[in-house]
Amino acid sequence: MENGKTASFTAVSLAFFILAASLAGFLGATGPTPDLRALLLLGVLVAVAENQCVLLPNQTSVSASFMLSMAAVVVFRDGANLLGPLIVGMFGGVLLEHVRGFDWRKVACNVGIFGLSTLAAAAAYSVVPNSITGSVPGQLLAAIPAGLTYSLVDYALLAPAASTMTGRSMKDLADELWLGDLQVYPFALLGVLLGYLYVALGAWVVPLFIAPIFIARQAFLSYMQLKAQQEATLRTLVRSLEAKDQYTAGHVERVAMFAEYVGEELKFSTRRLHRLRHAALMHDIGKLTVPNHLLNKPGKLTEDEFARVKHHEFVSVELLRRIDFLLPILPTVSLENQGLASPDSPIEPHIISVADAFDAMTSTRSYRRALAQEVAFAELRAKSGTQFHPDCVEALVAAVERRGERYGAGHERDAVAFAVPPPVVGVGSAGLGDLEPGVHADEAVEAHDAERSSR
Amino acid sequence: MSRAGRVAGLLGLSAVAGGIAALFGNHTAVELAVLSTLVVVGELLELRPVGRAPLPLSFAVVVVLVRAGTPREVVVCAICAQVFSLFVRDGAGRLRAHTVVAAERITETLAAGAAYRVVIQALSGENATATVLGALGAAAIAQILVADVLVLARDRTVAPLRSRGADLALVTSGILMAVGYAGVDGKGDLGLWGVFLFAIPLLAAWYSFELVASTRRSYEQTVRALSVAPELAGLVPKGHAERVADLGVALARELGLGTTEMDDVKTAALLHHLGAVCIDEPALDQRLDPAEVSAAGASMLSASEALAAAGEVIAAEPQLHRPPDSVAGSFPAALGGQILKVASAYDELTDGDDAHAAWAVEALFTGPAYVYDGRVLAALERVLVSQGRLTSTRVPRGA
Repeated sequence: MENGKTASFTAVSLAFFILAASLAGFLGATGPTPDLRALLLLGVLVAVAENQCVLLPNQTSVSASFMLSMAAVVVFRDGANLLGPLIVGMFGGVLLEHVRGFDWRKVACNVGIFGLSTLAAAAAYSVVPNSITGSVPGQLLAAIPAGLTYSLVDYALLAPAASTMTGRSMKDLADELWLGDLQVYPFALLGVLLGYLYVALGAWVVPLFIAPIFIARQAFLSYMQLKAQQEATLRTLVRSLEAKDQYTAGHVERVAMFAEYVGEELKFSTRRLHRLRHAALMHDIGKLTVPNHLLNKPGKLTEDEFARVKHHEFVSVELLRRIDFLLPILPTVSLENQGLASPDSPIEPHIISVADAFDAMTSTRSYRRALAQEVAFAELRAKSGTQFHPDCVEALVAAVERRGERYGAGHERDAVAFAVPPPVVGVGSAGLGDLEPGVHADEAVEAHDAERSSR
Repeated sequence: MSRAGRVAGLLGLSAVAGGIAALFGNHTAVELAVLSTLVVVGELLELRPVGRAPLPLSFAVVVVLVRAGTPREVVVCAICAQVFSLFVRDGAGRLRAHTVVAAERITETLAAGAAYRVVIQALSGENATATVLGALGAAAIAQILVADVLVLARDRTVAPLRSRGADLALVTSGILMAVGYAGVDGKGDLGLWGVFLFAIPLLAAWYSFELVASTRRSYEQTVRALSVAPELAGLVPKGHAERVADLGVALARELGLGTTEMDDVKTAALLHHLGAVCIDEPALDQRLDPAEVSAAGASMLSASEALAAAGEVIAAEPQLHRPPDSVAGSFPAALGGQILKVASAYDELTDGDDAHAAWAVEALFTGPAYVYDGRVLAALERVLVSQGRLTSTRVPRGA
């Protein structure tokens, strides 16, 4: 962190902490003392919940601490109605990760923000008359302003703190923070009801409430681990299987990467991106049924051989059809017959098709050396609207250019030591039709040869 | 209609009934109708943890039901709910199987009701909270115990403690929903609100378990899709991998292997010919070398952490059988390899047609003792007989 940012963050953190601590001191000196057992139980649970939060793939996190803070708002309503929730909330800022790293500024900042947010929620809840909070619908109604106030204060304090810490603008952070707060809001209702039962029946209701949430958390963690393991396994297997075709080393993983670029550009959800990656990793699985001598044959294939190799696309789709969660994104007919305009057809096969063609053109194959990136982009755009989906083409070009990445001649990641040198431009580029030799082709040869000689 | 549609319809039905209950004074009958409908919804939603038979969410609703109704009302509600469930369960047309499940559920509900009454009476006069909590806990646990006994009788398996997280979620949620519904000693009574709202943590658990189950399913389907590739390439007879996997799992179970080892045998069986697609084709008049195929497949799988154990099983397949004591670490990879070898050889000998079962078993037994493990061969006979694929064993039971 730069010095300026460090100083600002330190100032903001201290300000929040001192404000929360001063308010606690003032409320403690002037108001009733909160019930110690409730304070400790809820405070510790809030801290544990916050330390056990689950990080989601979209970088947001989920924890039960908000729910427990809202329960505290109800539990302390008839006694230390502000001090109790303030202290319980402050417990939520004690993250072991920060304590172990002696990152006291973050601890101070979080303690302040959690405490002040819960205090504000308690203040909002305390103005609701008892006649309303006496019934269940009234409780649920009262949870709305309390939850909203919590979110508002949390947002108002967290945005400047995060901005001084990360250097990102407040505007950039706004969407993420609001989204995160809105996602957890329904839990405010549950928290208020938990508080109601706590007051009516005692502290023993808390473990009954926490247990299924803990089990849900464990199962959700298993799901995320399993998903990551599944993808890692698939990548490993695909890499091993690629050894079958010496000219396509790394092809499948690059296609999955380019497909993901396009998916991100088209604002796909995390789940949809996962499905797209999975399909892209398996898009060439049908090639396992093609004899090795055909895949690695130098030069041109006969018509029969070409048909045999081409058949692998059909086999791939047939094999992928056996995986239920990929069904929604598989083409119902071949892409050639499907056309590009059908509004009902999924866009994913088009994404994979563009990613596949781009990688094929920018890699050396047994029948042709790698083309330059510009040639590949030009070729994709030339066939955009006929062979390729225009949105996918533009999304891929934009994503690669924005990242400043280079592919193709002179930039190949997996160079092939071929026995018979492939032609510069010959029988076509991944089914795109013949490309005329030209200035780009000559550049490609030079770049490719230079790359080989440098290894 | 989809399951989501059925659940939504039933919830709408129960919401209407709940609304009626809220509008009119004495509404026990309507509330019982709502709870019965929720039992049906709970029958459609199951917690499906790994290594444990599925548990329906209806178990939690039944805890509320036994708290809400008299014994007679509980029996009537349980029967009505289960009869209604017959028509909304997945797999319409499997009436016989659904009827068995319905009978099991009614038995479990009766057990829950009985446990609740026994504990309430036994603890009467004690602290009201402890009595209610004890009775509700007994009701929730009684259902699970009866369900366990039924699974034990049917599948001869008992779920280990580490797979009991779902049980805990059901028991605690059931108690909380029942307490939220009727309160204790006149306090904390939230009515149907308590049931609906305190079901949310349980629904969160259900959703997480569903995510795990769907991920495992897609993983298994991916492996199965890969297993078909050698068959489509004409390197292996059609259906070979699936048949070997089914037989391999049955042999592993017969030989007492655990769930993890059984999964490894299954994965190994499905992928044991995958190596064939990566090695160069032999000359026209020659077959692929099985040892080379196994080595290629094993090396492929060993690169992946999750498949490494299955890779070891494939690597062990071509090895000669030695007496277990003389082989260090012979379990489970070596035994898995022997299971795979026997299952694969049996399938190749019969070509998937059990008409040749007796001949194939005879052929396997007459091979040298160092080729096939006698324990696995004996297990093969027992499995084939129990599955009705072979009429009698040539080896006395217990060999």
